[in-house]
Amino acid sequence: MTVLKTSMRNFLAHKGRMALSAVAVLLSVAFVCGTLVFTDTMNTTFDKLFQATSSDVQVSAKGSSDTGQTTSRTGKPPVLPAAVVGKVRTAQGVRSAEGTVFSTSVTVVDADKDKLSPSSGAPTIVGSWNGNDARTMKITSGTAPRGPDQVMVDADTAGKHHLRLGDEIGVITAVGTHHARVSGIAAFKVTNPGAAIFYLDTETAQRTLVGRTGVYTDVNVTAARGVTDAQLKQNVLAALGHDYKVQTAKEVADANQKDVQSTLNVMKYAMLGFAGIAFLVGIFLIINTFSMLVAQRTREIGLMRAIGSSRKQVNRSVLVEALLLGVIGSVLGVGAGVGIAVGLMKLMGRIGMHLSTDDLTVAWTTPASGLLLGVVVTVLAAYLPARRAGKVSPMAALRDAGAPADARAGAVRAGLGLLLTAAGGWSLYVAATAGQAKTGSGWLGIGVVLTLIGFVVIGPLLAGGLVRVLGAALLRMFGPVGRMAERNALRNPRRTGATGAALMIGLALVACLSVVGSSMVASASDQLDKTVGADFIVRSDQEDGLVAKQAVQAIKNTPGLERVTEYKWTEAAFTTPDGKRLPNTTIMAVDPAYATDVRTETVAGEVKDAYRIDSMSVPEKFAKDHGVRLGSTITVAYEDGRTARLTVRAITRSDTLIDSGAVYTSIATLAKYVPAGRMPLDEMVLATAEDGRQAAAYQALKAALHDDFPQLTVRDQTDYKQDLKDQIGQLLNMIYGLLALAIIVAILGVVNTLALSVVERTREIGLMRAIGLSRRQLRSMIRLESVVIAVFGALLGLGLGMGWGATAQKLLALQGLKILEIPWPTITGVFIGSAFVGLFAALVPAFRAARMNVLNAIATD
Amino acid sequence: MTSAVTIPRHGGTGGTTAVAARARQVVKAYGSGETRVVALDHIDVDIARGRFTAIMGPSGSGKSTLMHCLAGLDTVTSGHIHLADTEITGLKDKKLTQLRRDRIGFIFQAFNLLPTLNALENITLPMDIAGRKPDRAWLDRVVETVGLAGRLKHRPTQLSGGQQQRVAVARALAARPEIIFGDEPTGNLDSRAGAEVLGFLRRSVDELGQTIVMVTHDPVAASYADRVLYLADGRIVDEMYQPTAEQVLDRMKDFDARGRTS
Repeated sequence: MTVLKTSMRNFLAHKGRMALSAVAVLLSVAFVCGTLVFTDTMNTTFDKLFQATSSDVQVSAKGSSDTGQTTSRTGKPPVLPAAVVGKVRTAQGVRSAEGTVFSTSVTVVDADKDKLSPSSGAPTIVGSWNGNDARTMKITSGTAPRGPDQVMVDADTAGKHHLRLGDEIGVITAVGTHHARVSGIAAFKVTNPGAAIFYLDTETAQRTLVGRTGVYTDVNVTAARGVTDAQLKQNVLAALGHDYKVQTAKEVADANQKDVQSTLNVMKYAMLGFAGIAFLVGIFLIINTFSMLVAQRTREIGLMRAIGSSRKQVNRSVLVEALLLGVIGSVLGVGAGVGIAVGLMKLMGRIGMHLSTDDLTVAWTTPASGLLLGVVVTVLAAYLPARRAGKVSPMAALRDAGAPADARAGAVRAGLGLLLTAAGGWSLYVAATAGQAKTGSGWLGIGVVLTLIGFVVIGPLLAGGLVRVLGAALLRMFGPVGRMAERNALRNPRRTGATGAALMIGLALVACLSVVGSSMVASASDQLDKTVGADFIVRSDQEDGLVAKQAVQAIKNTPGLERVTEYKWTEAAFTTPDGKRLPNTTIMAVDPAYATDVRTETVAGEVKDAYRIDSMSVPEKFAKDHGVRLGSTITVAYEDGRTARLTVRAITRSDTLIDSGAVYTSIATLAKYVPAGRMPLDEMVLATAEDGRQAAAYQALKAALHDDFPQLTVRDQTDYKQDLKDQIGQLLNMIYGLLALAIIVAILGVVNTLALSVVERTREIGLMRAIGLSRRQLRSMIRLESVVIAVFGALLGLGLGMGWGATAQKLLALQGLKILEIPWPTITGVFIGSAFVGLFAALVPAFRAARMNVLNAIATD
Repeated sequence: MTSAVTIPRHGGTGGTTAVAARARQVVKAYGSGETRVVALDHIDVDIARGRFTAIMGPSGSGKSTLMHCLAGLDTVTSGHIHLADTEITGLKDKKLTQLRRDRIGFIFQAFNLLPTLNALENITLPMDIAGRKPDRAWLDRVVETVGLAGRLKHRPTQLSGGQQQRVAVARALAARPEIIFGDEPTGNLDSRAGAEVLGFLRRSVDELGQTIVMVTHDPVAASYADRVLYLADGRIVDEMYQPTAEQVLDRMKDFDARGRTS
């Protein structure tokens, strides 16, 4: 009982000193809970949406995807004949059946040719207005579409793009462009996270999306009273046979949910990963806090021991304090987590994704796991300091307090640290020289973990050396104040080491990723320069978007172009000479000129031979895995066509960033086996200008596509490289943003260490003030100490991170990442930034030290 | 009395006064209303230049407060304090800090030295802070006087209590301050080490012409001074010149007895 009482009193007496540790726990727990609440809320939202929009049973054409997204390579959705509807109606238990047609392979533009697609990556859907939609939506103004000139828009899209009744819009599909005017606006009864939806009447939808009437993409079937969806499905199957895909509402919703889930999971685990890093950094902060509190309380603990407390009791009293800290930090963290989730939802709203707080989902597991994680991590982190407290001898009560802690970093620690670092370094070396990406990445992982732990363990030793170097290089400029700052940073290397290491973790990741990112850009640019002969690339802005035939024709008609190369792909089942069947394998089909546009290097044969009729090329790795040699025959069963036997005429190198792992054939070969109606549209079109007319051709090409095909973008090589750079830069920025959490916790750690050492050095500070140190000098002393700690952490982190990055690049060279590019501006920026972080972290501690009363500080009793 | 070797300091703007520090009607009070406690009650005192002054008195008499006020560590409630010709009452922290740095030396009872600096660095610290170069010859003389020549590279933790106090004395002397304030400088030392430190202080007055003010409750320590001031209840109640330990002790007993009967 007394243990609890002392812990409580101690905790309350030092609430200020505990505050930053509590904030660190709070932040990490909040991030975890925020992530969970946010992803759960997204799940709920989609779940409600899918539940609401599915009919009891849905009949679709065989080739359609489970989720309803149009994935057909022809640009038109797979359809079933209208007669199916009648057949379905004859099935038992059917109350009603209605044919619908819709497609996601569409681009919708307003009168100014501006796209009306969602910016969040959600699909654009054009479909026929049917009974099922009428149930889930409410027409808020105007009327449902009737006749070819009318279209109805969902309310979110109308609001976002300021569409009003009577506005003209254009629907661009593989069939052509259809113009209509807004006749009505309809709002979802549930939350629609972001899809843009346009409704036409059934006949117009059929003509616009498929090009003919009498076909549907789906039949929505409603069950008669008392008939379950599963029974209904059986009945419909019995009536139709197995030529069509028949799914219950639950099956459709589940398939959609699964699709959404996989995207959400990537996001969830990535964010939880970053929360984990923040936790790791927080551990350092907690260890430091408790170490310093125990050190400052040595005399008190000695007294407790002298009057009869057992080691266990002392030990436990510290752990109970940690428990209190963990509970308080976690409880606040869970609350803040919900706030973060709401903030994320608002942020999503900014990029065009609607989420409603009505759907806010807090599963009981969320606060439970947040609390558990926060408390367990805090108590574990406090364990070492608590043990140290238990070891305080009763004699400590009699000794002078305030003696600096044992500054010697043990030889065991040094040995262990060096061993770990060396083992880590060796693993990295093995990874860099690995012949296979798979084994190499394993070694890379081991190397990263070992060097990280190694650096943390030898941190205090490195602190000794590096701080001296920094002192000589930097602090000497500041005279005696600098010297004292250096000495202060050195007096407890373990503390400096741990504080710096916390910062090191975040910055190492930043450095590593920036090296990999810029190497990626440099390697890709270099490869583009070396291998790509085409001047322009035309492709759709939409994900999985295609280039319609009319657009290809427009490109071919553009003046000043020397050649235009089409590039398609489709899927086929391969049967390789080793007898293996490889279903759903991607196979490219290109014009033979592609050999000139992209100089693909081969290890055997020539790539242009692969474009002869009934020929193909395979990449080196594929050839090795399946025993394929030049002249081997592979059986290729095209998804939408017949089966071909193709001869391998070239084996391409695998270490490329462009079309890595691609299997090539010519379009002529594809056309031989796939009927014209099912030929996939072009994925992209490459164009090359006549000599010296690049600029003119570029303008002409843009002009040719601008009006009729706003979904297509023309890029020249410069644009392309810039886009690549932007994309990688965007990704990196997102990761840096998430790493900022860990870095903030690390900065809190620096503030914490400084604040606690100021308290610890009260008397010293008083003495210095008494003998004439000005407030300004005192402040700069503390600031310099802070800068040294921060720069020390940055040096370790950047060094380590660049090492990791360089290793990763060497490893990825196998996949074409051939150029190592160290992004010096970023690295220097981070380095200089860390010095500012140091200055910033010292603001409050320095201010408080300078305000300290000299007399209180030197009071002898 | 051995005459003080007058050392020209700080340009010595003609007509050096014989008074190093002067307090007039100094009042220091804490709190207000009913809880008001007066630590110094209209004190007038002159500290003679080149002399060793001891301030004595029972606990709570205000002796430490008087020293803190004279040294510019604490502010007064009313009254004026001059250090030579400079009035220090009312100075801003910045000026006060500069004054302490350049014109005053301190020796505290304990915790006089920075643990991160070695003996020599501790000695030159005030000059380092001020950005001044120490006078080499003077420094050597001070170091030799306090007998620390062999221990200059030692850290405080490697020195005995007596040695640490000698380093503190050397630090106070090295910057050639106008006045040195000691707050029970021998309070933590055994009698032999204490006698050693007091001997140095005496010699620095006699041989170097240093002005020293020391707060103590030890009659033996006070006997090293030229003059002893007795404080009680925030007032100077008595003084004694050229004291011996016995005289001081007798006077103290006297006060004690009076305090008890009153």
